[in-house]
Amino acid sequence: MNFDQIILLGSIFIPALASIVLFLEICKSDKIAKKIAYFSFGFPFISGILLFLRFDNSLEGYDFVVLFSRTGLQELNIHFHLGLNGISSPLFAMAGIVGMGAGITAIHSGVDRLRLYLALLLFMQSGLMGLFASIDLFFYYLFHEFALIPTFIMIGIWGSRDRKSIALELTIYLTLGALVSLGGLIALNVLVDAPNFDFPSLSRAVSELGMESSVQSNIFGLLLFGFGILVALFPFHTWAPRGYDAAPTSVSMLHAGVLKKFGLYGLIQIASPLLPDGAMFWSPLLLWLALGNVLFVGLVAVSQSNLKSMIGYGSVMHMGYCFLGIAVCSSLGAGSAVMLMVAHGLSVSLMFMLAHNLYTRTGTFEMDDMGGMASKTPLLACFFIAATLATIGLPGFGNFWGEFGVFLSLGEQTQHRLFLFLAALGIIISAIFGLRAVAKIFFGSASEAHSSRKKNNQISDLSFFEMIPAGIILASLLFLGLWPVVVSQRVDREIQTRFESQDRTYFSQTTPPCCPPEQESLDLNSSLPSKEKFLSNPEY
Amino acid sequence: MEKIAFCILLLPLLSALVTLLFMRRKGNVASLLSVATSGGILFFALILILGSGVEDFAWDTTWFKIAEWELRFGFLVDGPARLLLFVVAFVGCLIHIFSLGYMSDDLAKSRYFGGLSIFMFSMLGITLADNLIMIFIFWELVGFSSYLLIAHYFSSKEAAQASKKAFIANRIGDFGFLIGIVLTFWTFGTVNLVELSDLAEFDPELLSTILCLALACGFIGKSAQFPLHVWLPDAMAGPTPVSALIHAATMVAAGIFLLVRIDFLFTNEASNLLAVLGASMGLYAGFCALVQRDIKKILAYSTLSQLGYMAAAFGMGVPGIALFHLMTHAFFKALMFLGSGSVIHACHHEQDIFNYGGLRKKMPFTGITFLVGVLAISGVNFLSGYFSKDAILLVAYNLNPPVFVILYLGAILTALYMFRLYFITFEGMPRSSDADAARESPSIMTIPLLILAVFSIFGGYHSLYPQSIAGVIIDDLEFAAQLPNHLWMIVLGTFAWLAGGLGAKYLYFDSKRTDPLESKAPSFFKLCSSKLFFDEIYGFYIQRIQDPFARFLEVLELLLISGLLVKGSAGVAGMMALISKACYVGRIHAYGFWFVVGTLGFLFYASGFLGN
Repeated sequence: MNFDQIILLGSIFIPALASIVLFLEICKSDKIAKKIAYFSFGFPFISGILLFLRFDNSLEGYDFVVLFSRTGLQELNIHFHLGLNGISSPLFAMAGIVGMGAGITAIHSGVDRLRLYLALLLFMQSGLMGLFASIDLFFYYLFHEFALIPTFIMIGIWGSRDRKSIALELTIYLTLGALVSLGGLIALNVLVDAPNFDFPSLSRAVSELGMESSVQSNIFGLLLFGFGILVALFPFHTWAPRGYDAAPTSVSMLHAGVLKKFGLYGLIQIASPLLPDGAMFWSPLLLWLALGNVLFVGLVAVSQSNLKSMIGYGSVMHMGYCFLGIAVCSSLGAGSAVMLMVAHGLSVSLMFMLAHNLYTRTGTFEMDDMGGMASKTPLLACFFIAATLATIGLPGFGNFWGEFGVFLSLGEQTQHRLFLFLAALGIIISAIFGLRAVAKIFFGSASEAHSSRKKNNQISDLSFFEMIPAGIILASLLFLGLWPVVVSQRVDREIQTRFESQDRTYFSQTTPPCCPPEQESLDLNSSLPSKEKFLSNPEY
Repeated sequence: MEKIAFCILLLPLLSALVTLLFMRRKGNVASLLSVATSGGILFFALILILGSGVEDFAWDTTWFKIAEWELRFGFLVDGPARLLLFVVAFVGCLIHIFSLGYMSDDLAKSRYFGGLSIFMFSMLGITLADNLIMIFIFWELVGFSSYLLIAHYFSSKEAAQASKKAFIANRIGDFGFLIGIVLTFWTFGTVNLVELSDLAEFDPELLSTILCLALACGFIGKSAQFPLHVWLPDAMAGPTPVSALIHAATMVAAGIFLLVRIDFLFTNEASNLLAVLGASMGLYAGFCALVQRDIKKILAYSTLSQLGYMAAAFGMGVPGIALFHLMTHAFFKALMFLGSGSVIHACHHEQDIFNYGGLRKKMPFTGITFLVGVLAISGVNFLSGYFSKDAILLVAYNLNPPVFVILYLGAILTALYMFRLYFITFEGMPRSSDADAARESPSIMTIPLLILAVFSIFGGYHSLYPQSIAGVIIDDLEFAAQLPNHLWMIVLGTFAWLAGGLGAKYLYFDSKRTDPLESKAPSFFKLCSSKLFFDEIYGFYIQRIQDPFARFLEVLELLLISGLLVKGSAGVAGMMALISKACYVGRIHAYGFWFVVGTLGFLFYASGFLGN
């Protein structure tokens, strides 16, 4: 076992162990508990980045593979099989970064029963790291449940008003989604008769056996709606803003930022590449639903006056772009969706964190009750504006690449151009709600309610411990925005091999098969980039 | 060569980062750093311009790659780029120096100068970029820096609204631009400008009007043309040097630069449309400027009108002359904006021209340089504006008579409102105590004025520039020189500015605190003041249509999805529970009955009685 494998395992088990230590009340002092928490959030953070940098891009498939067969489940062909590939390694690093941010926020949040809070959050973190590191489907799913269950408990205990009913709604929704997708995964496994439960053998089995289109579309439907509910696909999205609204900040950060990517990850890593015909079958419906995310939910976000719900709706809206990327069934679309997932995880968690910082200063999430904050808290304003602009896809921040790539992928097929036009309206909608929020909160003069509150207690700017996590996440967003090739080359390589078959399907569809050869070079306008045509023409 | 280009691009970014990280409280150091940076940019830009001669220079590397989308980070330093690079670096440097004086009392100097550095970075990015997506990236970034700088005085409601409006209006333009880029990518298979121009020449059938109009949306947003022009006058809520740099000399002109960069993609229909659109903007903005009282808004409308001239020149197929006017306009408009800044600074941020008066005697330096700007923009013979504007008029006269009529009326109007501004502000008697107490600004502000005034006078002689800058405009100028009716045009041009100037003298010289036009032609005045109700229409749309629609969707979501679907499915589950509970009646003969029915049913089924 080499260094990489050890830190891969460590990033999953150290948070889990720390969680158990805190849970069993082995240490009684909050001080030591905080130190333990720092260490165990810090480890996945550092190892995520390290593994991302050490990832060998020349290898095909998975790097840092860890395989334990003797888990007791080997009879069921389930093995503890971990590793990272080009898609999961940026997401793994993102989970570590967001976890660090959420962890520091939690450690300094001063909630009641801090040790229990940290224990649950660490457990969640362990699940999140494990989720993206799992090759085996069983553990992929299991880690997801590990991360999901603390969410319910934490909303139930530390949530805001009407937390009980929201926790219940969330539980029903998410377990339903998880159940449906589990059904899809099992059906997939049983039907192709794969030797075991992991991704590579599944895809081998599928490619050897082949699958009928109708079977593919049934299974893809199960996976799509199961995962879709988990990612807040329109119209199954109502749990998300309400849930994030009620959840404690660190939970909102981890859930909206990382856990929600579980479904998209499943669709991109498993469903779309293995079931290309199914993906094609559902593509038209998915395009419309994703458009619902972008336009419908986007406009609902415009009408929010509560900052936290606005962020929640905004995040649901941006999930629409990821779905659009998946729905176009091409490696460009899927690759851009991965880029957007990474960036969105960072930006949305930063937004939730800053909203929390605002709340601790103003005592409210109602934007109309704030105002003129920029003069009191210039640093917070600076971070908030940067985070807002990152969210709405300003170049220079990571989100731009994914969004632009999705738009680009929508332009490839003529029948998708309508969706390109409608989805691109989203850049205006998100600018409207984002900048309205900035103007309401930070610009202008203080509102009446706000200034009376200000008289009573002094409003201070970001403290050191609030600045560090925000700085880490913002720096990652900027890095992703300014030097994207580091991430994109990893994603690109993996996505190309996975989506080879789909790209080919499209290629053969758009090329008219019956053209006479000399005319063919002229008729390819829509499918072949003309540059090649231009270069291949000997007369030029 | 690419190292110099990188220096030009990264210097301001570095300065912005250093300011943000270490100098938030050290405003004076930050301002000096920023000014030094702008000097460095000018230095490297001159090396790049003079060093590359007339050769085009291109360089690129991979920046991003997913599947078939490979984005290269590259530089293309050709004629238009060199010209704009010179304008941005030169005017930018002067405005930075001016800002030292203008912003000397400001509390948030480091934010201001940091913002200027971000702006320089993004603007230089547009200038040097070699492909459309890279242009788009920096395009959005200049929008962002403009947003930041408009919001400089963020505690005023006006600035808060204006910054938001500017960004969103730009986003609407970018929406079309983005779609245009996507379509370009899939039509041509590349977004690189050089490859695009080769392909467009190779296969003209690939061009389409929709495509180039979509791309032109970017220009409409950034250059504040109809129907997105509403943001520019409001953007005057920012500090005056920002208005000079961003909203007059460079950023808004970037729209024209974009058009010139992609002119090979334009079809005739699209070009004609742009010519008409630009010319109408030239006239419309002139009427708006005629009745404004705020000195900066007059200049803003005048910028809109001049951008319309550039668009008209582009639309008539002489992009070189559009660039030429871009350059001379940058000189005299920056001069006038800085002059107005000097006036505003001296009069304690009073901006109503009817509260000025007699300022030429109080601040002779500002007054005279301002007059030079007024003369140049009005097209007085042998000043810079004369050469560029009359070249546009001449081309229009020969090629597109309807456009010429609009542009010519606009030219008379330009002289009228500019002289109006000059007479009311600088001549007559002071009309407020602020104006009476005004003193000439310090030399750090007047020296940039002097330099710009020199360029406004002599900037029209293209042979004074090195070949590497003027090369791109010479072809089109020679084309214009060969057109007939030259002499006739000189007469007409001279008449235009004389008529405007004398009209202004008759109307406005020695006027009181009200606008004389208001009493002489009240209905005309009202019509001009309404600006054709664009702001009202957009306001109506946002408040009465968009926001209620968003709220309606919210209610719909609450009722249909949360209410009907979620609560409804919970209800269905509850109903099922009730039904199944009803079966557990707890009486033995009821269970017995169902048992017998079940068994019989099974037997029937098993014996094939119910079909196969």
